[in-house]
Order: sequence, then C-alpha cells, then structure tokens
Amino acid sequence: MQQSYNSDPLLIVEKLTLKTSGSSTSKTILRDVGIDLRRGEILGLIGESGAGKSSLGYAVLGLLSPGIERSAGSIVFDGEHLEAMTEQTRAGIRGRRIAAIFQDHGASLDPLMTVGAQIAETVRAAGTKVSRRQARQRAIELMARVGIPEPETRYGHHPHQFSGGQRQRLVIAIALAGNPQIIVADEPTSALDATVQKQVLTLLRSLVDETGVSIMLVTHDMGVIADITDRVVVMRQGRVVEQGETAAILDAPADPYTRTLLAAVPRLRLSMLPPPDGSMVCAEPPFEAVLRVDKVGKTFAGHGLSWITSGYRRSALSDVTVSLQRGAITGIVGESGSGKSTLGRIIAGLETASDGTLDLLGQRFDISQSGRRSGLLGEIQMIFQDPSASLNPRISVSDTLHEAVRFGARGSTGDSLSILSMMDRLGLARSLLAHHPHQLSGGQKQRVCIARALLTRPAIIVADEPTSALDVSVQAEIVTLLKETVAEQHVSMLFISHDLALVQALCQSIYVLKDGVVEDQGDPGFIFSRSQNPYTRSLIEARPARFTH
Amino acid sequence: MKTETLWAFWKRPATYRVTLPKLMAVAYVLLAILASVIAPQNPYDPLQIFAWEASSPPGTVSGGGYLYLLGTDGLGRDILSTVFYGLRISLFVAVTSTVLAALIGMSLGVIAAYLGRWADALIMRIVDLQLSLPTMLVALIAIVTLGPGVDRIILALVIVQWAAYARVTRGVAMSEASKAYLDAARLLRLPPWRIIFRHLLPNSIAPAITLIPIELGHAVALEATLSFLGLGVPIDKPSLGSAVANGFQYLMTGQYWISLFPGLALFGLIASINFVGEDVRRRFDPRSL
Repeated sequence: MQQSYNSDPLLIVEKLTLKTSGSSTSKTILRDVGIDLRRGEILGLIGESGAGKSSLGYAVLGLLSPGIERSAGSIVFDGEHLEAMTEQTRAGIRGRRIAAIFQDHGASLDPLMTVGAQIAETVRAAGTKVSRRQARQRAIELMARVGIPEPETRYGHHPHQFSGGQRQRLVIAIALAGNPQIIVADEPTSALDATVQKQVLTLLRSLVDETGVSIMLVTHDMGVIADITDRVVVMRQGRVVEQGETAAILDAPADPYTRTLLAAVPRLRLSMLPPPDGSMVCAEPPFEAVLRVDKVGKTFAGHGLSWITSGYRRSALSDVTVSLQRGAITGIVGESGSGKSTLGRIIAGLETASDGTLDLLGQRFDISQSGRRSGLLGEIQMIFQDPSASLNPRISVSDTLHEAVRFGARGSTGDSLSILSMMDRLGLARSLLAHHPHQLSGGQKQRVCIARALLTRPAIIVADEPTSALDVSVQAEIVTLLKETVAEQHVSMLFISHDLALVQALCQSIYVLKDGVVEDQGDPGFIFSRSQNPYTRSLIEARPARFTH
Repeated sequence: MKTETLWAFWKRPATYRVTLPKLMAVAYVLLAILASVIAPQNPYDPLQIFAWEASSPPGTVSGGGYLYLLGTDGLGRDILSTVFYGLRISLFVAVTSTVLAALIGMSLGVIAAYLGRWADALIMRIVDLQLSLPTMLVALIAIVTLGPGVDRIILALVIVQWAAYARVTRGVAMSEASKAYLDAARLLRLPPWRIIFRHLLPNSIAPAITLIPIELGHAVALEATLSFLGLGVPIDKPSLGSAVANGFQYLMTGQYWISLFPGLALFGLIASINFVGEDVRRRFDPRSL
C-alpha cells in the first residue's frame, strides 16, 4: 500500500474558502482549506456532518450547489487553475478526467435504461470516435473489471435486477468509462452492508493500484479510512484539523479532535474475556423473561388474486424465537433484508405477524391482529434510526413530550414536572422545550425521542439502529445514555443493529439474524469468541481489522 | 423537504415584483368588496332604476345626472354597477366553494390514507368516479338535484372540486404515514383523530395547497357558465355570468354593451387569477426552485 510520493501532486487545493452567498447571513462552509492529491493514491476526507468534506469534494468536481461560492483560494488540477476555466471547459473535465461516485447507487443509475447502455453511453461521451461496437466492448470489459459476473449477459439488464453492491460496482464502472485521473467518491459504501462494503472497498483499492487513478474518498467512517486510504485529511467545521499518512495519524493522532473521533469508534473485542457488563449481570440470579416471541413468521403476499400471486410470496421471518430478560439489553444483529426491523416492528405492535405468539409480562397478545386491536400497541415503545424523521417537524419539543403524557394511552401519570426531570436525566437543556425539531442537533433529537419513549413508562423499548444516523462522537453519547437508561429505569431493551461492536458493547444476549432466520445466538462471549457459525464469522471478518482486537 | 415547503415559503424574503395580473387581481378584490360604495347606482334597487333609460348606449348621461359609462341594459340598469355587483357574487361563490372544497378534500384524503382498507377504497372510488365524469356534467346534475340558490351553487362547486384535493393529499399522506414520527404517534396510542389532524394533515397538504389558486379560476369560470345557462345564482343576485346572459338576447340587435362589458370583466378576472395562481404555485412548488 505504501508507495513513494515523489511525483507532483495531481490536484492542489490552496487556501480554499467557500461561503454561502447571502450578503448579510453569509456562512463559511470551508475556511482556508489546503490539501493535495497525488497520483495513484487514495486520499480520505473524514469528518462529522457539517465538516465541509462533501463540499470540498463537490468543489473539486466544479459542482458547487447554488448559493455557495468561492471567496478565496484556488484549485489546481494537473497544472491548470479550475476556477479560471470557463464552465464549458470544466464540464469537459468533469466525468472524463475527474469522475464521481455518489452514495446513493439507486439515484446514480437510470432505472429505465439497461446498465450496459449507460456505461457505453459514458464511454462514447468521453472518447472521440468510438463506434457503438467498441463502446459495447469497452462497457463489457468495464463490467468485468468491477467484478460483475457474466458481463455479456448482464449487459442488457436493468438496474433493479442487480443487488445494492453490484449497483455500486456499476456506478464505479461508469466513473471509469472516461478513463479519469481522479475519482471523487462521496460516501461510496455507506449505503451497503458490511460484507458488501468490504468487497467494494477492495475493488477501489485494486483499481488504484492497477490503473494509477487517484481517489478522493469522502467518508464519516473511520473503518473505511483505516481500510483503504493512503493519506487522510481530518476536517471539522470547514477547516482541516490534521492531515498526513493514514497509518501515522491513526497510530498517533496529534490533534485532540482526531483523538476524540478515534476514541469514539466502537471497537470489537475478540479475545476470550467476557465483556464487563455481561459478567456483572451473569452473576445475578437467573433472568426473568419479560417478553417472549415464539416461532414468529411473516410472509408478504403479493397484491391481487392469491392463487396467481402465491408464487411471489416472500418470507421475511420464519420460526424466530426470541426472549428478553428484565433489565437487560438483547441484541439483534443482521444485514439489511435480514428481517431484523420487521421483527422489532412486530414486537412493538406496528406490524402483524403471519404466525407465532407473543407473551409480554405473562399476558399473551394476538400478533396476527393489528396492534391497536390486540392491545399490544402502546405497551412497548420504539426508538428509530433517523431522529429527524421521528419527530413531527411542525411540533415543538414541549408539545411532543406533553402529547406523550397527556394523550398517550399509558401516559396519564405524567405532568410537566416529570417531563422536566426526564429532560434533566437525559441531558436535554430545558431551554430546548420551545424549539422545533429543525433547530436541534441530531443527538438532541434522538434524546427527545428517548424521552418521549420513556415518559410512557414502557416495560420494553425496541431501539432500531438508534445511532446509525448520528455522528460517531454523538453515537458514543447515545450508547452510553441507553445503557444508563436501562439500568436506571428498569426497562428492558431490544437493540437492533448491523454494528457488531455496538452490540458487543451493549448487549447481554445476542441473536444473529440472516434472511429471516436466527442463525446464531448466545451471550457476547460465545458469539464473538467461540461461535463457529460461518455467517457470524463472516460478519466479524468484514469489520475493519484496525478496530477489532 | 416537502414538509417544510409551506414554512420555507413564508420565511422566504419578499421579492415581489408588481405585475399587471397582480394589480388586476388586487383591483378586482377591492372592487368586489367596495361594490356598494363605488357603484353609481344599486342596479337591484327598483327606486334607482329608470325604465325609460333602458338600453342606453355607453356614454349616455342619465336623468339622475350621472354618466352611464358602459350603458344600461334592457331594464335600465347601469352596466358598470352590474359588473361591480356581479363581481362580488362571482368572487364570493368561487372563494367560498374553493376553500370548502380544499378543506373537505384534504381531510378526506388524509383520512383515506390513514385508515386504509375499506375507508380508503370507498373514498378513493368516489374520487375516481367523480374525476372520470366531465366537470360540467357533475355540476349540472348537482344543480338540478339541489335546486337554485347561492348556497346550493356553492355546494355544487364543492362537490365538483373536492376530489382533486383528496387525491393529491392522499398520495402525500401515504408516504408521510410511513415515516417514523407517525409510528411514534401510533406507539403512544394517540387517538386516531389526533394522529390524523395534528400529525398527518399539516405535513401532507403542501402540494394540495398549490392547487387552490388554479381551482379558484376554474370555480369562477364554472359558476359563470352555470349562471349563463340560467342554472346558477338566482335572478335577484346576479353574478358576472348572469350579467352576460342578460344581454345575450340583445346581441343581435346591436346592443353589444350589455353582454360585452361583463364578459370582459369576467375574462380579466379569470386571467388575472390564473396568472397570479401560477405564480403562487411556482413559489410553493419545490421542484421549480
């Protein structure tokens, strides 16, 4: 991975300052940013939301969103000043010499066009005098290069016929079609599952090593940085905090902010010691089960006439048996499509199940009926992944919380006093009561959601990826908060996540879900050290080695 | 960011350009409100009408001393005053029916989206039925069934118009209903009406609101058509449409002014509403930014 960097930088960004163009309310997006990208390297830009890392990527592409303008500094690409060029010249560079890969592989491909035609189109747009046959040939080569099996046959398929990881590979193929010198990749793997993410990252690394293309990789994920970048630029609030060789920075971060970021990355322990929480809890008398779901199944039938669509029935869950102990956190781990969210929603009464039973505190609920009818709805609360979507944008924090106690089915006990003490306990300033969700940070929003859930005094909270939409440092705070909450409030929690390290840090018992079936289960000591289940092992191996001990 | 469209609209700095349609729209509203103050005569007060001055051409000076700027009709009523009074009725009927139709349509759309199943099927099939029939036909059937009267024609216009709001709102509400804040509201087991009207409705109506200005123009035109056909507002409360109809029989005799001026007023009114409506719609519509 390490090469000698004596060649000239391919791209130099000097003292770049970007501002929003409102005259009175001008906000600085980037301040005095100076970086350089060398030939044949992967440069990582890392930072939390609002750091300006994406804006920097877009500036290099010459695609600043309307309302943002360059107020100082320059971008020199291969000896030429980008800002001195006409928009026409810049458009000629974009897509050919500087290409882009975006996070959302769904939005980057035209759903109505075959993928082959899309790649061939880019080949023809980039090169002069390429015949249709040559373009097709080149497209097939590119598809093979990015690891699409049977590229000849798959040439004529549409995007929806590919998996998420394959779609992102196709986007990479399109980026490569113009033989670019630089690829700006904005969170290219954030929408992918861990095992697939690993494969796509490996592909990017091999492209750099073989073709000598340079990649500017924008990410919030320290694991991605550790895995494939040569050098890293740490950004915060529009400034470069620190930059240098990736290994050097990860080993010995100079800036306190970098240290905070690194410390906040969840780490997986594989050595044989049982996690401290686990051992403590295990010493207590045997757990009392507060919730047990038995042989839960869920099939989605196709719409329409049942005897025609019966072939399209898809089973989201089958034979899932899970039990939750009082005062404990139970983890459900799985990749997207494993049915883990569906399971959580069935338990909370938001969805019906096709089969199975649910017992909560000794009472049986009919989960084949809607939660409102069976009475299950309201007994269990949920915390969702995206805190912005979990709060009504038009209702203030105060009204949101008051509504939970005043109008909620279980809330009769509450008054404003209990709301205030709840806010204090969750570290929410009382002054936030008058705020609307858009005025809060992601972490504050998630705290409001937790407060709302707790105010109804549920026996169980289902937390569905409660931290994955948050910045790492905030993630760590919320995880600590959830842990304390469970201890203080005597609730039990079902913690749904794709992140093994988080589950290990939090949970006393873990279920691994794959394609709607429980693959593996046990306490963390078993799952992470002794389990021989091949799927569990593959999940563990997909983690960045640097953050696994 | 659809949910914040309305909010963003209000917060956007005012960069209004004064245009002719906007001036006209403002003028029309003022004239309608002030009709009884500025009109030279009250054309529906028999004491102010002089039958011997019937069918005077524009510019005739009346025995009462004032100028018939736009002439008089076959009964001696001042056309200018008829236009002002007619404008008032036309605008009142159109605005009331549009607002009612919007409120009803949006509410039913949200209810259909939230309740789903049979409620959704019922409401949306009525919407489909309604939208598959020609507007005019539905309006005529409604009027014939309901009978005459200003309130009846408002009701008829509401019946014609609510379906479009319901369909647009339902679509948005369906996607809004799958968001986590609605799941959270369900999990609190809030009363359904509260979930529907406090959480779902305010976040689902932005696209339907952009329909209002366009539908307002339609309402004016539809009411005028009905009144022209003699099925609209009653004789004693004539709108612009009835004023046009009033002169129709005289057109062949060369007394063009009786129909022409109310017709021009109507044309200007609908045109200005449509222009301003388009402007408002663009400002609301996030895609046009």
